[in-house]
Amino acid sequence: MHIVNLVVGRAVDLVLWPFRGLSPWFGLVVVSLLTALLMLEVYKLTSNQAAIRRAKDRIKAHLLEMRLYKDNMRVTLGAQAGILKSNLAYMAANLKPLAVMIVPLVLILARLSLWFDRAPLRPGEETLVKVELAASADPLSLDLRLELPPAVEATAPAVRIPDEHEVVWRIRALAEGRGRLLLRAGDRTIEKTVTVGGGPLTSVSALASRGSFVRRILYPGEPPLPGGTPVRTVEVLYPARRLAAFGVGVHWLVAYLVLSIAFGFALKGVFKVEI
Amino acid sequence: MKRTTALLATLTLLALASPLAAYIGPGAGFAFLSSFLVLFLTFLLALFSFLSWPFRFLWRAARGQRAYKRGAIDRLVILGLDGLEPTLAEKFMAEGKLPNLARLKKDGGYARLKTTTPAISPVAWSSFMTGSEPSKHNIFDFLDRDPRTYLPGLSSARIGKPKRTIGLGRYLVPLSRPEVRGLRRSVPFWKILGEKGVFSTVLRVPITYPPEKFKGHLLSGMCAPDLKGSQGTFAFFTEDADKVRKREGGVAVLVRREGAVIRTAISGPENSMLRKPEEIRLPLVITIDREAGGAWLAIGRSKKFFLKEKTFSPWVPVVFKPGLGLKVRAICRFRIASLEPEFEMYVTPLNIDPEKPALPIAHPFIYSVYLSKLLGRFITLGEANDTWALNEGALDEEAFLELTYANHAEWEAMLGNALAKTPRGMVAIVFETTDSIQHMFFRYLDKAHPALKAAPARKSAAVIEELYKKMDDLVGRVAAGLDGRSALFVMSDHGFKSFRRGVNLNSWLHQNGYLSLLPGKTESGEWFKDVDWTRTKAYGLGLGGLYLNLKGREAQGTVAPGAEAAALKAELGRRLTALKDGPNGPAAIVRVYDRDAVYSGPYKDNAPDLIIGYNEGYRASWDGVTGIVNAAVIEDNTKAWSGDHCIDPALVPGVLFSSLKLKTDKPSIMDIAPTALELFGIDPPAHMDGRSLVDAPARDGAKRRKEA
Repeated sequence: MHIVNLVVGRAVDLVLWPFRGLSPWFGLVVVSLLTALLMLEVYKLTSNQAAIRRAKDRIKAHLLEMRLYKDNMRVTLGAQAGILKSNLAYMAANLKPLAVMIVPLVLILARLSLWFDRAPLRPGEETLVKVELAASADPLSLDLRLELPPAVEATAPAVRIPDEHEVVWRIRALAEGRGRLLLRAGDRTIEKTVTVGGGPLTSVSALASRGSFVRRILYPGEPPLPGGTPVRTVEVLYPARRLAAFGVGVHWLVAYLVLSIAFGFALKGVFKVEI
Repeated sequence: MKRTTALLATLTLLALASPLAAYIGPGAGFAFLSSFLVLFLTFLLALFSFLSWPFRFLWRAARGQRAYKRGAIDRLVILGLDGLEPTLAEKFMAEGKLPNLARLKKDGGYARLKTTTPAISPVAWSSFMTGSEPSKHNIFDFLDRDPRTYLPGLSSARIGKPKRTIGLGRYLVPLSRPEVRGLRRSVPFWKILGEKGVFSTVLRVPITYPPEKFKGHLLSGMCAPDLKGSQGTFAFFTEDADKVRKREGGVAVLVRREGAVIRTAISGPENSMLRKPEEIRLPLVITIDREAGGAWLAIGRSKKFFLKEKTFSPWVPVVFKPGLGLKVRAICRFRIASLEPEFEMYVTPLNIDPEKPALPIAHPFIYSVYLSKLLGRFITLGEANDTWALNEGALDEEAFLELTYANHAEWEAMLGNALAKTPRGMVAIVFETTDSIQHMFFRYLDKAHPALKAAPARKSAAVIEELYKKMDDLVGRVAAGLDGRSALFVMSDHGFKSFRRGVNLNSWLHQNGYLSLLPGKTESGEWFKDVDWTRTKAYGLGLGGLYLNLKGREAQGTVAPGAEAAALKAELGRRLTALKDGPNGPAAIVRVYDRDAVYSGPYKDNAPDLIIGYNEGYRASWDGVTGIVNAAVIEDNTKAWSGDHCIDPALVPGVLFSSLKLKTDKPSIMDIAPTALELFGIDPPAHMDGRSLVDAPARDGAKRRKEA
């Protein structure tokens, strides 16, 4: 999994690298376009194009039927039933491409979230470093220490929360740069990156995890945490990033969705894909 | 089992996906957005239908459209089987081969149906729909002529260029639609039904192009053009140079193979957007795959497809681009007749795409779109069955039958849909299957036919018998779906007889001094190319028309209207009926009809001056129809087109089967329209020449229903 993450990560990073000094919109537009192209091709190869066309034709036919036989209630009702039936057939025909597409899409989205979901800390900004422990570990008695890089300082001692199995530190960013938090658990050391400042489009990894397969997919920014310690995740609570559009903050996922759909729609004719 | 497992696995995978993965790209994202949109739209439309229903009901009631209450029936179904021959139907019924028609005859009524003068489909079906004789609907043949030029034109419609254009470089950009004008006059009975609130579905009835507005749905039939504006131009691609010659109804294209690849083009419509119009051509690349037994066809930039030898492709959409970003769409089917030794391929005429029609072929406009989306693409050309391709050897008999029955299946599907959606009202459909197959296979019923001597018989009389049985089966299926408040008419517009010998009227006129050629000429090419009009008194055009070269009407008229014209007509009638096929042979023409004697309507002046009633076994010759003058007056017909009906109407009545008792044993095709009106309680208008064939039901609705 780590290798897959690495490959996808490198690919996404490579695409976004030229746009790191520009507004995040530029990178998002390019990524949306490339995603649309990739998914159109995947959709074309994995879907039953004839069945999709047939289902869509049927839906359109029944919609026209409602118009043509508007004075005939029986036909109108039949047309509505036909639309629902054809709609189900349409959605069923989409299950296979959906199942295939979900794999690369999850990997890409997880990687994109590193770039677009969170903003790096600004100098002077405070946040929390949260360590989640295994259920069997006692936060109060556990020997757990946090060592900070020069660009960051702790502003309060660790808070240990037994009910949540968490240990939390408050930190403040001092200067721009990327550093490593070192978490000493007994004789073992765990590393987690912390990013302060950077360009308008900077990749930040909020969470390092030793946890489940799903977590490792969804948080691909750092290698998995080593075993042999009760630490399950280390998370830096970076501020959420919003993309500005006409004075309104837009979540990057919404923008990505709209853009990639728009590109897909615009290019489906060129690639002769029935969606 | 595999499917279930795959489905479960897919659903599990989807269920496990995190919220972040809820959006899965443009493909599925689109799919689910579209689905939602469709559901939303459906809900809105349903809501609108329900809420507006009482208002629409009240509106109809307020307008007095209570035809169903006044009518003796709720639904009338008319199945037109073009050219069904009464003697054959009666013979097969007597032999027990047409049980459904026999039952209809026994339980309702049957009679031979008097056809029109002349007995030609566009004329007869126009009289069917208007209840009037030809001089009231203005259709006298497939062709009429321009008296200023003596050149022929389609009698039913004119398709012209847009009236307003603007020049843009080499282009003439149209600012209006092309002019499409119907020439049939009078009112079809379904329009009158519609005015009284009775809904109709009219499918492929001849001479319904261009479609007219009325309360109902209509898909045009015979005379609807192809994309080239012709009545059907097939294409025949061949490597055999000997087979490339002029072909009636089509074009032959010589192709050359380079390796396994043939590069050629599909010739499309004329590009009228250019200042100097030229044909639009679409590149066609054929890659032969001998091992797979077929070829890959790539048309323009479309996705290529594989076609096996001796197999018809499904309808293939083709797009022509006249320029300025415009697209003109057509559909056609392909059939590779042979890969070796020479490659040969047939392509149907370029049908107007019903999904995106370049010209109106339906009313309302969306009706053809609806049918296409629901049932799949279908043939839209009026003369749908490609008889010319068989006549000219571009299709063999087997392939012709396959194609014809495939077209027929499309029409049956449309009929089934119309019947299912029209529980009350009128449904009329005309199947030209019967006409086409009889035209092309009638010689197998006539052992003395010259075509059987010219080419070996590959089929037998069973083709016609099979045809009648299939139609009987269709009648059975339709009848089974009708209730007690429905009536069924099964009818043909004319019958059929063998066409053994062709009569070239123009050659006869020439040899008898009525038609003169230019000095030094002994023959004339097509469309009177070498005729000296200043010395010509009469000429023949079309399948049964003879025109006088009348002063004041024709551009170079020589015959004075009035007494001189009347005397000439009488003389021609007398001499033509005396025309014998050989010294002791039968008469080739049994009757000549003077239009002044048979017509009385307002369009009488557009009719031919004389209408020729050929004897059984005879018809206008192939050359004579197209204005060729040569030495042969009567000659053998050796073409596959071996049966015909363009003869004396008295010899080719049609059939009428009715689920209701008929009150006359001599019905006429003009009687169907007034009968339909009376069945719905509507008085036929005075201009109709026909009379109702069933006893007029009483006005009281309850009493009528009881009687029915």
